Amino acid sequence: MAWPIFAFSQADSCTFSFDGKVVDIETKEPIPFVTIKLNGTDKFTHTNFEGDFHFDSLCTQNNTFSISCYGYCTSVCNQEHHDQLHPIFLNQQVTQLETVLLHVPKNEKTGTKTIAQVRIEKSEFNNNPAQSLASMMAEQEGVTFASTGSNVQLPVIHGLYGNRILILNNGLKHGFQNWGTDHAPEIDVSSANAITLIKGAAGVRYGPEALGGAIIIEPNPLHLNEPFYAKIGLGAETNGRGLSSKLAGGQGFKKWSYFINGNLTKIGDRHTSDYQLSNSGKEETSFGFGTRYHHKNWDIKIHYSNLNQKLALLRSAIAESGNAFVKAINSNEPTFITPFSYDINAPYQLTGHQLLKSEINWWYSDDAKLTFQVGKQVNNRKEYDVRRNIDKPIIDLDLLTSDYQLEWKHPSWFKLNGVLGLQAFVQDNDNNPGTGTSPFVPNYNTQRYSAYLIESRKFGKNTFEAGLRLDNENNNVRGRESNQSIFRDKYSFTNLSSSIGYVREISKNSSFRTNIGTAWRPPNMAELYSFGQHGFQSSFGLLRHTSNSENVLSTDRVIAMSESATQAEQGYKFINEFHTHKNKSTHTLSVYSHYIKNYIYDRPYAVIGTVRGPMPVFIYEQADAFFIGTDYSWKIDWTKQLSGNLGFSYLYSQNTSKNEALIKQAPVALHYQLIWKQAKFWFFESSKVSAKPSYTFQQYHAPQTISPEKLIDGSVLITPETEIFDFKDAPEGYFLIDLAWHFTWKNIEGSIAVNNVLNTSYRSYLNEMRYFVDEPGRNLLFSFNYLFKHTKDE
Amino acid sequence: MNRIKRFSLVMLVLSAIAMSACKKEDDAAPAEENDEEIITDVKLIFTNSADKDDIVEARAQDPDGAGVQELKILDEINLDTSKTYVLTLEVMNNLTDPGESIGDEIEEENDEHQLYFSFSNDAFSNPLGDGNIDDYADDVRYNDTDANGNPVGLSTTWTTSSTPLTGGTFTIRLQHQPDIKSATSEATDGDTDFELTFVLNIN
Repeated sequence: MAWPIFAFSQADSCTFSFDGKVVDIETKEPIPFVTIKLNGTDKFTHTNFEGDFHFDSLCTQNNTFSISCYGYCTSVCNQEHHDQLHPIFLNQQVTQLETVLLHVPKNEKTGTKTIAQVRIEKSEFNNNPAQSLASMMAEQEGVTFASTGSNVQLPVIHGLYGNRILILNNGLKHGFQNWGTDHAPEIDVSSANAITLIKGAAGVRYGPEALGGAIIIEPNPLHLNEPFYAKIGLGAETNGRGLSSKLAGGQGFKKWSYFINGNLTKIGDRHTSDYQLSNSGKEETSFGFGTRYHHKNWDIKIHYSNLNQKLALLRSAIAESGNAFVKAINSNEPTFITPFSYDINAPYQLTGHQLLKSEINWWYSDDAKLTFQVGKQVNNRKEYDVRRNIDKPIIDLDLLTSDYQLEWKHPSWFKLNGVLGLQAFVQDNDNNPGTGTSPFVPNYNTQRYSAYLIESRKFGKNTFEAGLRLDNENNNVRGRESNQSIFRDKYSFTNLSSSIGYVREISKNSSFRTNIGTAWRPPNMAELYSFGQHGFQSSFGLLRHTSNSENVLSTDRVIAMSESATQAEQGYKFINEFHTHKNKSTHTLSVYSHYIKNYIYDRPYAVIGTVRGPMPVFIYEQADAFFIGTDYSWKIDWTKQLSGNLGFSYLYSQNTSKNEALIKQAPVALHYQLIWKQAKFWFFESSKVSAKPSYTFQQYHAPQTISPEKLIDGSVLITPETEIFDFKDAPEGYFLIDLAWHFTWKNIEGSIAVNNVLNTSYRSYLNEMRYFVDEPGRNLLFSFNYLFKHTKDE
Repeated sequence: MNRIKRFSLVMLVLSAIAMSACKKEDDAAPAEENDEEIITDVKLIFTNSADKDDIVEARAQDPDGAGVQELKILDEINLDTSKTYVLTLEVMNNLTDPGESIGDEIEEENDEHQLYFSFSNDAFSNPLGDGNIDDYADDVRYNDTDANGNPVGLSTTWTTSSTPLTGGTFTIRLQHQPDIKSATSEATDGDTDFELTFVLNIN
């Protein structure tokens, strides 16, 4: 459903105009016959059947309008202070005409206008309160998730994940231990207001990690003039006997507003269609609050959020002897199955994340503003492994992240609109003593200073956008070798990135966007320095392994960055999106190619004998890689009530340096969703029933398989020159069906969903646990939200 | 207007200061850790119970611990026929200087550890059979017990068969069984601290 709406003003005396569209805040349907009155005058107009209105002959650029319609609350729209596009939402108000409410969702962010993107509103992700960010994003074409079991999930955009996808939470890069596939971003998605997914290289606007795309999580927008609201939500799921509850509330006054929210989740051991996934539970608590003060052309926001998690990792993945590893890999069932329990034992992770941020906006003139953001994030992570000292964490890290960002949206200059930004990003990572083992990643301090400039210009139906960014990053690293001797290193990277893009409104119904962007990414600490056992594997970073003239791998020393051939990744992404909406059907096609120089990946290397028995070894390598793919979605309204949604995504990737497949790449996926909307049925005011069959193909372009037995008995000899391999074949394709029913009844908004209706047993190629176990089986999810709607008397 | 500007400026500065207050810039390396996980050297010491100077040793070494160097079995076990030996162990982490005895730690936590053995069938006249890795109830002559009266295996007794053996095997496995060690614990319970297979010759 398209509901984008325009409101912009044009210069000249008494020739200013204001166009807009009024839509229902809940259904997003246009509302006809709404009265729009210019405050302080008796001028007014009405919306047409499409909800559109037009106001002309305005003498000033800044105007205040009152928008009202019988059956809806009145809204006041202040035309000043908002960027060019704003839809106006009216809140249904059955009894009285009163209250002022104005919602202004953000439009496309500067610097990403020409990049394919998807925006997901809160209403679209309300049915599973315990869902992770990644699994939620995976419902979009071209996005899937990589995981380590049920609790740790990372979004994958066009084959890239982890450090190549920037997660921007509340305007700040989420500062966490972002390495490996076993660390998920510590973000409570249920507290987000909307999420924007950017599929292209947005590195110019957001910095190095946005090489493969960005996920922008917007907090509560803290609307002014919003009546008191409160929401209590309860959720339950059968698989894992999970329970969750959440609470959110807030209020907006004329000059200030606030919100608070909280969430509690507890999930026990999940099960597949055939067996229990022992030690796969999760506990999470989170709370946050924010406040906003608005005065004339100043706006100040302060946000705080706090999240704590205890995440179990599958017990049967930890095979501390080679025999056990071979057994675990070869058996259809995991080696360790115990009855259901909420208990979380080793291996598990304890994480805590706190964010404090303030943002100040100053519209110092009508078409220019300064934004200053300062943020502090504290991330604590403790990981407990199955080992002799089970009560000591094997990883115990404190990561402190500070952000300072100043952005100037300059006044239109020769019809150029743009922003100039300065950023300072400082990270301090410390290992806490008492782990009884050499630190897996070193202590480090990173300082990054960046400046960027993005300009766009409109020529009729064409918009061009170009950007430049300069980053300078300095790192100071201190670590320990396994004999406890200290190593130190200092290194820096400087990089210039650029992007150029173009959008054309081909017709009223079609648009085309194209963007070429460069982006870069310095290698992260785990890619450089990881050494030894982490989870079920032993891994060695780029600076921790060398091979001698006989091609024998050794890990006996730490290499200085200046001596190594290690370089920052350089990405060049070309993405095109064609969007058309005609005759009740909407097609969106994006095609992309992405070349990454010095792409860093970890790959199975060997099974190496240790006193504990053979251990699977992974090493980090660097090579040039090429990705090409397409995402297609087709939405159609078959009837007024029945709509369909087809999604398809395809990705092909290749290591071009070695001319071989890349490991852990998303397979081809296809889904079709049928949605039936029912206005009134029984005592439910509205219902929406959806059925979504999906098929995920086997990854046919996967590395060869060499079984661990062959590696152990020495019948296959591996050197760093050996073609890439995996310990197990890529899992077979699988067919899943998900069902959901959403309804509203009085103040209750609820949903009942069934995931994996057929209780299919399957394995996902992008789940590290695929070596050992199946994915969870059928899951029934219940969610009920009670909304306290205000009835304020004025 | 001026007041507002001043107020905002103060807010801005205050928030910047508040948020930078706990900023720390340090150059410290991670603390030295006493790595109890790494075992680099294991030595099996067979002492003839009738003659303290008749000692047979067999060593295994993983010189870089967590690194990629392969474990090396340095010696074969060469025992005489029809003799009774007491087997003791030396378990070390030699990456640190001086080396650290992991054996002492196993001794301290003996209620969480058990050694299991397997060997060529009937290589010994006592215990007979092939050892208790495949079946915990099979005979192995433990000389030590933990506080709960369960066997540990840091000292065991072996009487070799009168029949010579060439190229047989002798496997020793240390299992870590926190909270799960019992009289019926099996060699697959808990986690393997080490598992070493030596060549066994009896002449």
